Amino acid sequence: MHVYIYDSYINQKKYDKAIAMIETRLTDLGLNGKIARLGLMKNIPDLVQNELKRGAKTITAVGNDQTVCQVINALAGNAAPLGIIPVGKNNNFIATSLGITSSQEACDILSARRIMKLDLGRANQNFFLANANITTLGTIVEIDQDYSIETAESGIVNIVNFTTGEEKLPISSTQNKFNPTDGILEFFIVTGQDRKFLKKITGKSIFSFKSLTIINKDYPVILDQVLKISTPVEISVAKQILNVIVGKERSF
Amino acid sequence: MFKKQEERTENFTKAETIIGHSVKVKGDFNSQGDIIVEGMVTGNLKTKGSLQVGEKAQIKADIEAREAKIGGEIKGNVKVKDFLELTTTAKVYGDIEAASLSIERGAILNGKCTMTKEDKEADLKTEHARKEEQGHSS
Repeated sequence: MHVYIYDSYINQKKYDKAIAMIETRLTDLGLNGKIARLGLMKNIPDLVQNELKRGAKTITAVGNDQTVCQVINALAGNAAPLGIIPVGKNNNFIATSLGITSSQEACDILSARRIMKLDLGRANQNFFLANANITTLGTIVEIDQDYSIETAESGIVNIVNFTTGEEKLPISSTQNKFNPTDGILEFFIVTGQDRKFLKKITGKSIFSFKSLTIINKDYPVILDQVLKISTPVEISVAKQILNVIVGKERSF
Repeated sequence: MFKKQEERTENFTKAETIIGHSVKVKGDFNSQGDIIVEGMVTGNLKTKGSLQVGEKAQIKADIEAREAKIGGEIKGNVKVKDFLELTTTAKVYGDIEAASLSIERGAILNGKCTMTKEDKEADLKTEHARKEEQGHSS
């Protein structure tokens, strides 16, 4: 059975046409299933657990990155794959990176059922799919309990599983570093504000690690541009823990 | 000017670890791959690959690497298995040990210098001579 989790924001009138088109397309493709609508009294983890107990074959997040972020935390470690149908123009970077660029295309991708087992980043009790980041100001990062890193310049600390293009990293994705199936998370610090002879110089640092701890008294760690968790945060990789239905035009 | 930038980009591409110019690392840093240091390191720095220390880098650590190119300041001992290069902006306050060495004009070195390859060859020659002598005497 296919289960579609509708985020609460798509109840707005402006999305009626898009939702109708999605539902028609899913019917045409024979992918009808149960629709679960999020609201004040319902939370995603309980909803997903209940549907999995009832034998859900696929759990599809219908919404944006925020919806996806919540679903992966409930679905990690389960055999049922995650599908994504992006709705709206904003905050769909994860879907785009997975090769799902529109709602229409998303339905066809669900039908094709190209499943990949992806790594997730583990941040304390939460998971993130694409990246975790925090400002460099006041941040201390302890790596593998062997050494610590800090910087005085303003910038961003990024832990990347795969790139969505929003991180603005000064490293080309063609360098084959951002693969969410390789069991490795990449750690970058990008600082940047030297101006020398009118040319902006970006500082970058790259480290590899097994686990790291981020400490910052004032600022939280942000997972997938959506979820904020306060430090200390211990980050490690959870290898190939989530099945995801992906498109051909994905970024890895 | 452009060649230097291209070389720099290529090195960045290959390096497993890059410590940027405003970053401080404290503790025991061990790596298997190539490292580029442009920031500050305090503690110990070891790698089985190559090490490149930029002009503005400041390292207060003992260093071990397969090969190294030093352009910044190091307060500590440097032990390199193969080739060690001190460029014109290098300042090393500590002992160095390498199999092969290059020191550019303007580099500063305040410490002992030990060439390990010659030592090994000298040891082998001494051992060979000793065995020959034993052979003759018996």
